[in-house]
Amino acid sequence: MVIVVEKREVVTIVSIDGSVDGTTARELVSSLREQVAGGSSRLVGNLAGVDYTSSAGLRALLETVKDTRQHGGDLRLAAVRPEVLRVLELSGFTSILQVFDDVDAAVASFAA
Amino acid sequence: MPPSRASRRREASDLGNEANALTPAPLPGGEGSNRVAVVIGSGSVKCAAALGLLKVLDREGISIDLIVGCSGGSLYAAMIALGRSAAEAEEVTRRLWTRELTKRRHYPSLFRAMLPKIFGFTEQFGLVDDTLILDRLQVAFGESKFEDARIPLYLTATDFHTGELAVFSQGSVVDAIRASIAIPYVFRPWKIGSHLYVDGFLSDPMPVGVAIKHGANVIVTMGFESPYQSHATSVLKFAFQLSSIMSNNLLRANYAFHNLAHHTEILPIIPQFREHIHLFDTDKIPYVIEEGERAAEQQLPYLRRLLAAELS
Repeated sequence: MVIVVEKREVVTIVSIDGSVDGTTARELVSSLREQVAGGSSRLVGNLAGVDYTSSAGLRALLETVKDTRQHGGDLRLAAVRPEVLRVLELSGFTSILQVFDDVDAAVASFAA
Repeated sequence: MPPSRASRRREASDLGNEANALTPAPLPGGEGSNRVAVVIGSGSVKCAAALGLLKVLDREGISIDLIVGCSGGSLYAAMIALGRSAAEAEEVTRRLWTRELTKRRHYPSLFRAMLPKIFGFTEQFGLVDDTLILDRLQVAFGESKFEDARIPLYLTATDFHTGELAVFSQGSVVDAIRASIAIPYVFRPWKIGSHLYVDGFLSDPMPVGVAIKHGANVIVTMGFESPYQSHATSVLKFAFQLSSIMSNNLLRANYAFHNLAHHTEILPIIPQFREHIHLFDTDKIPYVIEEGERAAEQQLPYLRRLLAAELS
């Protein structure tokens, strides 16, 4: 899994490439936690490069969204592939997380 | 006077129903080893996609340590656990699951529902005569018992009186399947011992918890949401629609809970059907299996990596 972090004003975009599963979730959580601990609690998870997520990936997302919200921010998802979106829907995540078509829309949502 | 809750528990235990068992099964492989489970949820004929999953696991030499089936999934879980090949299972489904199953009405139920004061309503209510499906289940599974299974098998139903998930792991496979597929309003609830059971999807359409309870740490799931109807043009379709709404929401809620509450790795295999698959579209089984195989192949790299990581 490759994680690329990019700042766009007050929003931090975390682009993930690869699958988010039991073998990679810890690395993702550490990376996201680092961002929040560093004061970046408005996160956009760019999932355009994620082709799979298992239960471990869902737990990583939930942990991060709780973390960001406790710090006054949020984790919003962008460019989620259909196969990943189906898992998010099946597990009810689309009812607790905001999902946007692309990164720009997700970034702009923080200004609204 | 009805039996107390405690006495019902004892009776259930005698029958091999683990609904109320309190102690999780030990991990035979010991700490750190993989224990792979396949959970086949409800979804009528779509559950045949599990045969495609089986093909992929077989080809890759990934062995299944336990298998759980619910509702339509109970048929395939049983066949896989009893060692039937995908081709045999496909043939069994073709012979077993046809439109004729719902052709004959169960008139006593109709009369009891319409004129309860005269005929006396009973809880064993179902609009369809279940003689044919029972006959066919007998032909398909005969006297098979859970104890005959090559892979430990768990089939689920729902206790009609308590609403609790019931898990069968001993005794007659036919009885357990019949209980597991007791579709509300369609097939009568099924009595085993002193308990009355209805379809497993009513308590958990994808019983991942059973696999967790029995020590699985890698759980491959295949289950389907119930289809919605654009128009409910009959009482039965109206009932189906309500049932779909409830079971789909239950599926999501339970699935979310199991994904988040445990450290087990749950890998959903979700076949995408370009064609509509209706309740009795057994002619589409080859296509359903193909899509199941395709969906399983897509997730194979992650499953392989996960198993390798856990074993190292």
